[in-house]
Amino acid sequence: MFFVLFKDGQLRVRRLKAGTKFGITAFTLAACTATLWFYFVRQVNLPDDRTGFVVAFVFAAALGVTAYIKGTSWVGGLPPAVAILISAFLTFTISVSSQSVDTKKVIAVGDEIPHFSAVDDEGQVFDSEALQGHLVLIKFFRAHW
Amino acid sequence: MRRLEELRAEFDQRDVRVVTISTDPPEDILAERHLHGLQARMLSDVQLAVTDAFGLRNTGFHSAPLAHESVALPVPATLLIDREGKVLWLDLSKDYQRRSDPSVVLAAMRAHFDS
Repeated sequence: MFFVLFKDGQLRVRRLKAGTKFGITAFTLAACTATLWFYFVRQVNLPDDRTGFVVAFVFAAALGVTAYIKGTSWVGGLPPAVAILISAFLTFTISVSSQSVDTKKVIAVGDEIPHFSAVDDEGQVFDSEALQGHLVLIKFFRAHW
Repeated sequence: MRRLEELRAEFDQRDVRVVTISTDPPEDILAERHLHGLQARMLSDVQLAVTDAFGLRNTGFHSAPLAHESVALPVPATLLIDREGKVLWLDLSKDYQRRSDPSVVLAAMRAHFDS
């Protein structure tokens, strides 16, 4: 791989340092994987098995570290740094996003729903009594963020 | 929410009341409402009182933004309720970053509401 720079009044072609190549590869891998991850997040359709994401991020981070071991130029040191940061952060996020419910307390098919009241988006109090005699769909969802 | 609105005609045809419950304060629900256009009674459950009544509090660790007002979240869940208030169908999302797909909800409505 080569790059072109402008020095002493003329264009010069230089060969990229070995570490810089690793760094660019690391950055590309981390950026593509992150883009795919956030695409699934937006679709609220993340796969159950996220091993592939973790493997890709760990590999990107390893490439980033290899880049520094091989030696990079000053500017060439930036892509691996970004790759390592993205990979570390998203691997952490993937691993901590878990959930569980207390199976003894959770409502089950055949149960009568508990009576409840809550305020709606216009500040009106809603009482579950109003649902009697109707077919109802209730959806619990995480917040809007 | 936007996906759920795809089922509007199916809800209307069966006269289904749609109620959503989230931990957002009312003003946040109102501010976000235009984004999905869901025609539903959207309830605010900041203290998780309703969530706990249904036993749907997420007891696992979650990566909610620190600024978010509620300390916990419900597990995403979709329930179909009959006219007597009994649960006919319940779909618990295995992951809070996933939700019931509209096609799954529609299949459940056909199976439970139309029989």
